[in-house]
Amino acid sequence: MNRVLSLYAAGVFAFLHLPLLVLAVFSVNGSRFAVWEGFSLRWYVSLFSDPQLLEATLNSAIVALLSTAFSTAAGTLCAYGLWKRGSRALSGGLYLSLVTPEIVVGVALLAFFQGIFRFIGVQLGMHTVILAHVAFSIAYVAIVVAARLRTIGPSLEEAAMDLGATEWAAFWRVMLPALAPGIAAAALLALTISFDDYVITSLVAGVDSETLPMVIYAMARRGANPAINAISTLIVVFFGALIVVSERLRAE
Amino acid sequence: MKRRVFLMGLTGCSSGGPRLNVFNWSNYVGPDTIRKFEAQSGVHVRYGIYESNEEMLARVQSGNSGWDVVFPSNYLIRPMREQGLLAPLDRALLPNLSNLDERFRAPAWDERLEWSLPYMWGASGIVFRREIAPKLTSWAGLWREDLQGRITMLDDPAEVLGACLKKLGYSINSTDPEELRLAQREAVAQKRMLRAYLNAEVRDSLIAGDVQAAHLWATTAQQAMDAQSELEFVYPSEGFALYADCAGILRESRRFELAHRFLNYLLEPEVAVGVVAATRTATANGAARRLLNETNATLYPPAEVLARGEWFQALPAAAQRLRDRLWTEIKSA
Amino acid sequence: MGTIRRIETPLGRLRFWFLAPAWIWWLALFFAPLLIVATYSFLERGAYGGIEWRWTLENWARLFDPLYGAILLRSFVMAGAATAACFVLAFPLALFLARSGPRRRLYLLLVILPFWTSFLVRTYAWMFLLRDTGLVNTVLLGLGLIREPLPLLYNHGAVLLGLVYGYLPFMVLPLYATLERLDPSLLEAAADLGARRWDTLFRVVVPLAAPGIRAGAALVFIPCLGAYLTPDLLGGGKTVLVGNLVQSQFTTARDWPFGAAVSLLLLLAVGLLLPAALRQREKVL
Repeated sequence: MNRVLSLYAAGVFAFLHLPLLVLAVFSVNGSRFAVWEGFSLRWYVSLFSDPQLLEATLNSAIVALLSTAFSTAAGTLCAYGLWKRGSRALSGGLYLSLVTPEIVVGVALLAFFQGIFRFIGVQLGMHTVILAHVAFSIAYVAIVVAARLRTIGPSLEEAAMDLGATEWAAFWRVMLPALAPGIAAAALLALTISFDDYVITSLVAGVDSETLPMVIYAMARRGANPAINAISTLIVVFFGALIVVSERLRAE
Repeated sequence: MKRRVFLMGLTGCSSGGPRLNVFNWSNYVGPDTIRKFEAQSGVHVRYGIYESNEEMLARVQSGNSGWDVVFPSNYLIRPMREQGLLAPLDRALLPNLSNLDERFRAPAWDERLEWSLPYMWGASGIVFRREIAPKLTSWAGLWREDLQGRITMLDDPAEVLGACLKKLGYSINSTDPEELRLAQREAVAQKRMLRAYLNAEVRDSLIAGDVQAAHLWATTAQQAMDAQSELEFVYPSEGFALYADCAGILRESRRFELAHRFLNYLLEPEVAVGVVAATRTATANGAARRLLNETNATLYPPAEVLARGEWFQALPAAAQRLRDRLWTEIKSA
Repeated sequence: MGTIRRIETPLGRLRFWFLAPAWIWWLALFFAPLLIVATYSFLERGAYGGIEWRWTLENWARLFDPLYGAILLRSFVMAGAATAACFVLAFPLALFLARSGPRRRLYLLLVILPFWTSFLVRTYAWMFLLRDTGLVNTVLLGLGLIREPLPLLYNHGAVLLGLVYGYLPFMVLPLYATLERLDPSLLEAAADLGARRWDTLFRVVVPLAAPGIRAGAALVFIPCLGAYLTPDLLGGGKTVLVGNLVQSQFTTARDWPFGAAVSLLLLLAVGLLLPAALRQREKVL
């Protein structure tokens, strides 16, 4: 049984990873097509001479960093508040926002923004993208931090308060540092989700706020563009490294 | 507000420098066109692209999209005008207007050129592999069983319904619900033989040979034929649709003069020549055409072929709604 | 709620400030937008798009058209198939993970790693593999096994494959979490009593893993029901699921009211499934 299971596991791992490896291999393929024609870095070079792509990457980074900052803050506070004493309404609301399909969230936000923008003369742009990203990230952050809170348990806070700390001081000086790994994990999750989002972003983006997934999507729709292999490989390597590093840190 | 400036600074916009946002079809300018305008005018152009009228409309319909110049097809000019989306053009700012071909100086959709400037025109037909026998000569050919799985149609409701209507012998601008329903049924019947609904994206597949026959615009077909000699284009015998993509300025634009400068720039013969050399489109610019001395029968079909063509027209709202609904039903079937 | 905290908080106001940002976010960026969508679903569509302030039930009535019922059914079937496929693929892997010893962290990392890279990239990878000029066809042609490229892309099968590939980790992890907590002596005992290995599996392990199965199924089924990107890229515009329908109504078809009705229907479907998937003990917030 064990042998069978091990072989099977190897097979599934291959299934999960081979497509990405294939992309990586063909990103250094000189040919446009799936025929190997020699090693070449031309697709990577073409990435760096594409101003639209570079701007989109920068936009993605800005949106990811800012939305992560806000959603991590709000989500952590929320998880802590709920942990102290539950709120059925807010919990229910958070669950609902988690299961709501992305497309529904996206069109709802689009309708919302367009509705109010008529009155305040603002357009879709980076700000709407950031707001949208905060919107869908908060619940994820809350869940991750809540899980960490349950692991830590109430004893730490109780001890601090027994020693005379105020509620706020207990949170700020004692719980928060203890929560740090959980918060970091939540922030990483929010960052990845934000950087990768296409559906919601494409609906609420404006003229100046094209993000990397939007560019990749357009390229994928438009046909066989080998530059996508290059950008895909870069993304996989970057986020792969990020998660490996964070796992290592978590282990310590 | 501070954050906006910070963000804008980060994204490399010159803070406060003049800027123009142009939203155009993909592959509709030459590689240098925009850059030369930027150099000439000192304006930074943000150039966005779309693959279909619907995609463009979806973005600009809010009246608050941020784009300045768009390129709707001729049959959208009147609806967009009625929705208050377009700004009236100022002829005084367009000295190069006289460069337009005579045919486009007073077109049916905008007789006094108050709202739009014809930019490129064309028609849709069928591009196919030479080796197919018998040769394709009519829309009916795209319903052939032997081509199953190797046919694509345009991802465009007006074009698909138009092709079906023509196949049945009706006008592409039909508003008769009965005729439209029959056309919809044709489209649904074709679906199982269809590979996909693709616009310009199908070009690569055509060149590679995965797609053997495609419903495509003459210009995209010409681009494919330039790269692959095994392809041939035909204007179907039942008739076909003619369109003209026109430049227009959105009413929401706050860069009125700048937009006019851009339009005027596009009307210069050398610029138009530069564009069509790259895009292989038929230009509405008469002066450019004279410079080109173009005799390509695909892009500029001879008169007897052109006579079979029918210009797309703006349709009454009820008919448009029915068509939109039929399109959803075709796609969902 | 499942909390075990019972410290008396004299300053309930602190809790208010802690929850305030989340409340503001939820009300302004989730509830209000959904309310607007709900309102739109009862309005009429404008001549060329947009909305007219005239009330109508037409959009909801239109949902009963068999055409849209077919789309909803297709979406359920597709999501169900993806969930089932994920379960079948994931269960043995979860078993393996639960029984693996020192290298467990490494294996878990290998499972999670694809999930952390871009979903879009992973979907595109299958486009690259399956298209006519893609790797699979090129290899098969090169080996002489086929004469013409196989139409692997732009069909329901490709969409299913894309969904399974994208959501497999979501099934593996809950299953693993549950299986890992099982007492290994249970399995030993069942084996000792002479039950054959398969019997053990089905009669003992699977029922005990039920919470994990439920969680995994929910984590896969619900997103697959509302999937948009996978059917769009891998389906070639021919596989229309509910997510695609909503997107098209809000963009190219310019029928926001109808799109709103479809969105709400989707939300209702998902909302009804949620309590079935989660039981009281398993809530995490």
